[in-house]
Amino acid sequence: MSPLLWFTALAHSGLGHVMQNSKWSFAIVETVHLLALAILGGVVLIVDLRLLGIILKRESARIIGRDLSRILLGSLIVMILSGIGLLSEEALKCYYSPAFRWKMALLATVVAFYFTLHRRALLKADTGTPTLWARAAAVVSLTLWLGVGVAGRAIGLL
Amino acid sequence: MPLLQHVCQVLYDSHVGTAIRESDYAFSVIESIHVLGITLLFGTIALLDLRMLGLVLRPIPITRIARAVFPLTWSGFAVMFTSGFLLFWAEAAKNYANPAFRAKLILLALVGINPLIFHTTVYRRVHEWEAQAISPWRARTAAIASLTLWSGVIIAGRAIAYF
Repeated sequence: MSPLLWFTALAHSGLGHVMQNSKWSFAIVETVHLLALAILGGVVLIVDLRLLGIILKRESARIIGRDLSRILLGSLIVMILSGIGLLSEEALKCYYSPAFRWKMALLATVVAFYFTLHRRALLKADTGTPTLWARAAAVVSLTLWLGVGVAGRAIGLL
Repeated sequence: MPLLQHVCQVLYDSHVGTAIRESDYAFSVIESIHVLGITLLFGTIALLDLRMLGLVLRPIPITRIARAVFPLTWSGFAVMFTSGFLLFWAEAAKNYANPAFRAKLILLALVGINPLIFHTTVYRRVHEWEAQAISPWRARTAAIASLTLWSGVIIAGRAIAYF
């Protein structure tokens, strides 16, 4: 099935009908999306500033990464589920929106990056001074996550 | 006309307020900064709250985390306050009567009182309990109050657009 058919099916689903016909269901789901964003953004910031060696220098990056990755994963799941709800309200508009396509591409990239190279950088960086490798991973992660946020905000504006 | 409403109307009619409101991009750009700034402010506060509840970073003493996130939280506050005030400037006369905006201001006042109480009471003896995996009940209560009130601020803020 092509992506367009998936988007059409989502728009015509029960979820899509609820989201399209009730102002408050959209508002509530959007607020949940926003609350999860606040947590996810905060976690990304702390982890990456630690990788850069800017904060919590004496604490193990491994422990910080392990603990905060759980929170990150939890808020990411909430964001994806609420995101599907928001998408169902205007699935076809999103399908053709360049901002939405950018957001999905950046999201896929950052998730793949986070669970592979970024994870390795966290495990390697324990309590020593950050290597160039760790710093690069942090900068790439911050840039990609910010890109996801900016592209996401742009969906509603463009 | 009540004084506060009058002030809101003057702001609304001013050059700056009108310029932000009538520009094609200004309001959206400031609003985007306001939304992304939430991560800096709420994200860092939530981290400290979750640590006091014993949910994350248990091996790290409270004061070390507090010291690490302090500049971030205050930068976040500066970003949120500045961008928030500019948004208010553009919409002041409409915001005055908006129930969500009023709720947000009340919640912001309460969320300011919470750390005031916390820092003058249980946090004064933080060195006695900062290394404990789970903080004393009064600190946990402050953490739950902080998480609840800040979530309320975000919810009310989002709701302003729907009234």
